[in-house]
Amino acid sequence: MHIPDGFLSLPIAIATFAATIVFWAISFRKVKNSLDERQVPIMGLLTALFFAAQMINYPILGGTTAHLLGGASLGIILGPYAGCISMSIILVLQCLLFGDGGITALGANVLNMGVISVFVPALLILAFNKVTKDRGLFAWIFISAFAADVFSAIFAGVELGFSVPTFQYGLNIAVSAMVINHSVIGVIEGIVTVVLIATLLKLRPDVLSKSPSLKNLQFFQVFNRVERWSASS
Amino acid sequence: MIAKGNFVRNLNRKTVAVGLAVASAFVVIGNLVFSYALETLDVQAERLGISGENILEAPFPEYTIPGFDNVWCSVLLGISSMLLIFAITLVVANLLKKKGQDS
Repeated sequence: MHIPDGFLSLPIAIATFAATIVFWAISFRKVKNSLDERQVPIMGLLTALFFAAQMINYPILGGTTAHLLGGASLGIILGPYAGCISMSIILVLQCLLFGDGGITALGANVLNMGVISVFVPALLILAFNKVTKDRGLFAWIFISAFAADVFSAIFAGVELGFSVPTFQYGLNIAVSAMVINHSVIGVIEGIVTVVLIATLLKLRPDVLSKSPSLKNLQFFQVFNRVERWSASS
Repeated sequence: MIAKGNFVRNLNRKTVAVGLAVASAFVVIGNLVFSYALETLDVQAERLGISGENILEAPFPEYTIPGFDNVWCSVLLGISSMLLIFAITLVVANLLKKKGQDS
């Protein structure tokens, strides 16, 4: 998913950088005013965890490989704004230290993996919660995580498809190639996200109760009320 | 209140220790078992004859230490980088939280 230098046309590289800068500005402003103290170590931990998880390349179709993104877990557990900052830290260091993704494509890579893959699942969970009221939560988490990978792949495909003549395949080939291969990893992403959130729900529900994406679930509303009551007594 | 603060801090320490151990295991697995990478974009670039070489020369290209062609060096580099990312995120998050409290 990391786009190297030389793949994107100049207008696409500039447009994606501009969009990324807007999301960075919004995310830093939102996180500054809303980050809970107990989310700080979890934010550090999840960022490190998904940097490590991205080093594992799973064999998928036609001899190719793909890696987890982690955007869904970051977006759902930390919320989209903190998740965007976490994923951006990973992508910037991968670009500068390891040459994973080009400097001219950094805006596009952050937009695909740090914005789309983080905001899509966080917003889907909020929407699902409004409709279903806690029912089938893990099914929705799976679908949201899968959708995160597919939407990121679509965005990457569109950016590459519009980068003709730099990237000579047209829009159809670029998008379908990216989506088909990343749908496979989307299933693994869905399973990993469900397992991670189920584990935190069992061991550290206090961390999840601060998540902007999950705190409106009925379960956490009760949890937060009990916690406020125990803190005041 | 103090007791509760300590309880949360201890809980965080345990969670972080377990999480970093899991992340280190990912780095080891990623280097020893699933290290072969040929992503969709690599295949397309090969077909198009695009080199895809980056403008900036990375100090650790392809997650390796130049001159040390040993998988355990890559594991060490991966774990060090993972800890660096953990530390940077903590600094950024704490700075943001402090800025939010000041304003």
